[in-house]
Amino acid sequence: MSDVVILGTGMHPFGRFEKSYEELGAEAAAAALRDAGVEWSQIQAAYLSRMYLPATSGARILRRLGSTDISIVDIEAACASGGAALRQGVLAIRSGEVDLALVLGCEKMPRGFMDPSMIYSQWQIELGMSLNPAYWSMRARRHMHDYGTTELQIAKVAHKNHKNSVHNPYSMYQKEFSLDEILNSPLVCDPIRRLEICAPDDGAAAVVVASAKRARQLGANAKAINIAACCHTIARYSADFRCPADSMSATAANPGPTEVTAKQAYDRAGLGPRDIDCFEVQDTDAFCEIEICESLGLCVPGEGGRLIDEGRTEIGGATPVNMSGGLISKGEPVGASHLGQLVEIVSQLRGQAGPRQVADAKVGLAHVLGAGGNCAVTILQR
Amino acid sequence: MITANKSAAGERVPIREGLLTGPLSRLDRVRLAGCSCTTCGETSLGSKNICPNCGGDAVREVSLSNHGVLWSFTVVRHRPPGNYKGPDPFVPFGLGLVELSDGLRVLSPIRCDIDKLKIGLELQFKPYVRKDDDGREVVAFSFEPASQ
Repeated sequence: MSDVVILGTGMHPFGRFEKSYEELGAEAAAAALRDAGVEWSQIQAAYLSRMYLPATSGARILRRLGSTDISIVDIEAACASGGAALRQGVLAIRSGEVDLALVLGCEKMPRGFMDPSMIYSQWQIELGMSLNPAYWSMRARRHMHDYGTTELQIAKVAHKNHKNSVHNPYSMYQKEFSLDEILNSPLVCDPIRRLEICAPDDGAAAVVVASAKRARQLGANAKAINIAACCHTIARYSADFRCPADSMSATAANPGPTEVTAKQAYDRAGLGPRDIDCFEVQDTDAFCEIEICESLGLCVPGEGGRLIDEGRTEIGGATPVNMSGGLISKGEPVGASHLGQLVEIVSQLRGQAGPRQVADAKVGLAHVLGAGGNCAVTILQR
Repeated sequence: MITANKSAAGERVPIREGLLTGPLSRLDRVRLAGCSCTTCGETSLGSKNICPNCGGDAVREVSLSNHGVLWSFTVVRHRPPGNYKGPDPFVPFGLGLVELSDGLRVLSPIRCDIDKLKIGLELQFKPYVRKDDDGREVVAFSFEPASQ
């Protein structure tokens, strides 16, 4: 057993709701506490992952569960905020100062493209560089050029993820689209289409984490899920072309943020990609999943398109990816996305994922990657 | 380095300080500014005091090449959010990474028929003047197919 475990998870569906962020967050937090079988008053530290919420949102949300004097901290690391927040919870427990903590992700976002001034400089906005999908699209275009990856393969990833989401009550769309529908959906930024990208939305997800010792004292050994690794890094110099970059080196050869973070996580867990039974990865767009599968070591660089052609990333395949339907179907409430992935992985490892269940899943990996090359990888093990 | 300290109506300013070099009154002599590090050898976009790769301060400002090759591209099909200064009503446009012989790829609007966009397309730097709401002339940039 590792030193830090997940005792319980809770989630508010991702989508668009007529509720305040405080309501969304409090529902997810309360659900996680119920699932863990602990009271809010027992929690010794809490972390809120969020990007678009106002200051002290964590305290405002958790006040709804009752008054407290514990440390509640808001954490932001773009799309990897959830991993950065969980890491703080893990480190706090590992330090010995606390042994029971809550990590919550929550977001409430406006429709449409994200507010560019959060990320981009004014001159980039003026020149038209402030559309996030443009960056994903240029990566896709280059991959197609270098490796022969096709628009059909990209569409197949979107098809798989939308299809998986039909069985996920936490997903925004829960709707299967045919390959034709996907390939005929409007281009957003060539070659990426409307049904191949994720939308910003609302949602919340939470986990209760504890030291292994505290879990034993609570008699919660049986359902505890080990956190084998939780790593967060930002991309090295020019290792990642992602918003808001205005240029990239043509000569530096640093490994990408997913490679670096995954290696850290694999090393810490003492596992490799072949030991992982199921994956939830950042599919901000369908191409992104292809590239990340390569970076996580599911195949060699350039072979990502074959994974989908051969059905290897399907729920019944050798390396299932985005059983939940991914962000393409759930939407991306940025601060909540990684915690939402962990809710899915925990449910897989507990054998409670219903029609989405990966047979006999024992180890799962969750990955997020976003602005500034922020990347987080968490490996869970039962 | 060009500074925009005393900008006022009628004056010419770069779209961002430190991004362009050369006399703004002579567009044919304006180039993108770069930062070349004598320690690690990296050249990056824009004038800076510290190398963004190694953190060293042995850097010098250079003029980047005004020729490049399209390394990757997309077509922006929706009006970008925020204070986009392109045509109104919106017209889809090419956005690409232009590889320069200086060892870097620069993100830039590509001024050409979107059907002509192709990896490997030879491009040349194309600064231009845009009139701002307050009357200032802002020097912005794009790339266009070479010898057009």
